[in-house]
Amino acid sequence: MKDTEIIELQEPRLSVADQFYVPQMLVGMGTTLKHMFMTLTGKDRVIQYPEEKREDIPVVEGGMNLRTYRGVHRLNKDEGGRVKCVACFMCSTACPAHCIHIEAGESPWADREKYPIQFDIDELRCIYCGMCEEACPVDAIELTHEYDIVGLTRQEMIFDKEKLLKMYDQTVEKEPM
Amino acid sequence: MPKIMVDGKSIDCKPGQMILQACLDHGIVMPYYCYHPGLSIVASCRICLVEVEGIPKLVPACQTPVREGMVVHASSSKAIANQKAVMEYLLINHPLDCPVCDQAGECYLQDYSYQYGRSESRFEEEKHKKPKKDVGQHVLLYNDRCIMCSRCVRFTREISGGGELYVQGRGAREEIDIFPGRPLDNKLSGNVVDICPVGALLDKDFLFKQRVWLLKQAASVSPVDSGGENIYLDYNEGVIYRIKPRYNGEVNQWWISDDTRYSYKIVRDPRRVVQPMRMQYGSQIETTYDRALEMAAGGLQQVVATGKAGSLYAVLSPMMACEEAWLLGQYMRRLDPKALLVLGPVLGKGEDEVFCNSLTGKQTFVIKGEKVPNAKGVRRVMEKLGGPTATFEEFVKGDRAEVKEVKGGWIVGGYLGDWVPKDLPAGMKKGFRVMQDILPTVLAGAVEVVLPGAAWAEKEGCWENHQGRLQAFEAAVVPPVGCRREGDVYMNLLGRAGLYNGAGIRKEMGEPFESVRAPVAREEEAAFEFVEL
Repeated sequence: MKDTEIIELQEPRLSVADQFYVPQMLVGMGTTLKHMFMTLTGKDRVIQYPEEKREDIPVVEGGMNLRTYRGVHRLNKDEGGRVKCVACFMCSTACPAHCIHIEAGESPWADREKYPIQFDIDELRCIYCGMCEEACPVDAIELTHEYDIVGLTRQEMIFDKEKLLKMYDQTVEKEPM
Repeated sequence: MPKIMVDGKSIDCKPGQMILQACLDHGIVMPYYCYHPGLSIVASCRICLVEVEGIPKLVPACQTPVREGMVVHASSSKAIANQKAVMEYLLINHPLDCPVCDQAGECYLQDYSYQYGRSESRFEEEKHKKPKKDVGQHVLLYNDRCIMCSRCVRFTREISGGGELYVQGRGAREEIDIFPGRPLDNKLSGNVVDICPVGALLDKDFLFKQRVWLLKQAASVSPVDSGGENIYLDYNEGVIYRIKPRYNGEVNQWWISDDTRYSYKIVRDPRRVVQPMRMQYGSQIETTYDRALEMAAGGLQQVVATGKAGSLYAVLSPMMACEEAWLLGQYMRRLDPKALLVLGPVLGKGEDEVFCNSLTGKQTFVIKGEKVPNAKGVRRVMEKLGGPTATFEEFVKGDRAEVKEVKGGWIVGGYLGDWVPKDLPAGMKKGFRVMQDILPTVLAGAVEVVLPGAAWAEKEGCWENHQGRLQAFEAAVVPPVGCRREGDVYMNLLGRAGLYNGAGIRKEMGEPFESVRAPVAREEEAAFEFVEL
């Protein structure tokens, strides 16, 4: 590693008032109390997730538009059921969070040069910006509207090629390509 | 010194120089595909055509010698119209597969298409599809990406001399090919991949491994022979993916041998020694690096305490950097002022491999027969340290008084293959031995302490090649877990503060090491250039 590759980070300096902690604590407490009173007077509303979901509520009432929501990724398949991806690394190059890891190989099909042997997305590291979708030259990677994905370990949240292709099978009815 | 005017800028040229080379020397940008300063000029790609006052037609800048008072218009409307026409013509049959092409990112056609081409194609007919071909052990040919610049053909005729590649067919059916049963298998074959301006010739070894824009470069020197070829190590996230030549007019020019090109594989070799070992009751057991170092230092001190002066030796490997050899020599001499310094086996007694231009018979490239990079440098360090020294042959023979007295010592390996000779010197067969190596050998299984070392790409330093040129190299990656750089180990043993730093050590070594400059890495290009389409 060269010296130019090393970045030195400085801790932010606290002002004198911040160093006493008490004023900052009171500011935080104030925010909590403000929301408490707003909820009591009905100006804020609490959504009882998962019984109540935001996509079922109109946007003006604090709901969300699921059609523009960027959720977990999927890898699209072509007519032959093969993975559409050509392993060009455009998505991983565009990714600001560096969460896409691809291993390319020679494809077993005659009409294509390259395909991904391995395709991993770290869904915990991803910031769901959608840059990968924008960069893809063959529309192989897409963000679905699924947001309620869970995993018991960090390893489970690293989605591999099989899991991303399964995601396509699960969502293709609801969200066609 | 003829003076010419290019686009209103006056430049000094060498007599007989071509317009293109003169412009490139003075930082005037001009597009070119077929021109290569190391090859003969054919002026076949026609993209460098410029307007010269007094000549009615456009002339190729790469093939037109400069004349006193010449006025060149490189960006006149006529020249630009030609560039656009050439680009469009070249792209007619070129597949639009940049996303899967390994050359993308360092492709002339891609760059010039942005700078000199048009953003869309007017061609509506079916594109020609040519099959991809396996032309040699290391090289793959994608004929439909080829733009027929014939650099590779000229390379095999003029530099490697085999003439394996040729142009087959004429007109639109023209393509590069090999003769039946004569693949491109010479020891310089990898260079055709470097000189190919597009993605037509690709390296099988690097194929699909990584995109070039993700790679970072460290300037280094070839470890395979005493030629000291200048190279770039292209790495990303701690892994070296390929080696590219670094231009040095006095050493390797633009070329490197295939042995150098694929030498990076040793760095991630699965056989690498990564576990420090120490001898306990006659058998080696695993230990930590610090414990092993403690035992090494203690054992050597005991040898000195029980024997007389001159009972220690150090085998300095010709794979070591000069700085490391200097530090180890100093450590051994501190323990025992009369310690014997031995230059490790200098592998490869074979003849130099000489490549000649098949047309003129002139010598173009030499692969040295001496298969270690720094025998000369380590000899120079040993001279500088003074005191008793010996060659490995003398150490094996064992008839000199200093050689007979040794009781224990420090052995450094670090070779790219098996190096331990069958007839080991008597001194190395018994006694207290500490060994630093990167690959397992018979000897490493029998010594008292094994310290895993670092490969050349993991450390910095300088090597002296066969011409006596001291060349510094940079580290690209960090050693694997369990290994330590030799320099750091010696700094630790000498009780010096801080980590090993090549330039700092060179300063205290004095001349000629002091004046060795760090290698000049390629200039950083702007990360993003916005192109208006």
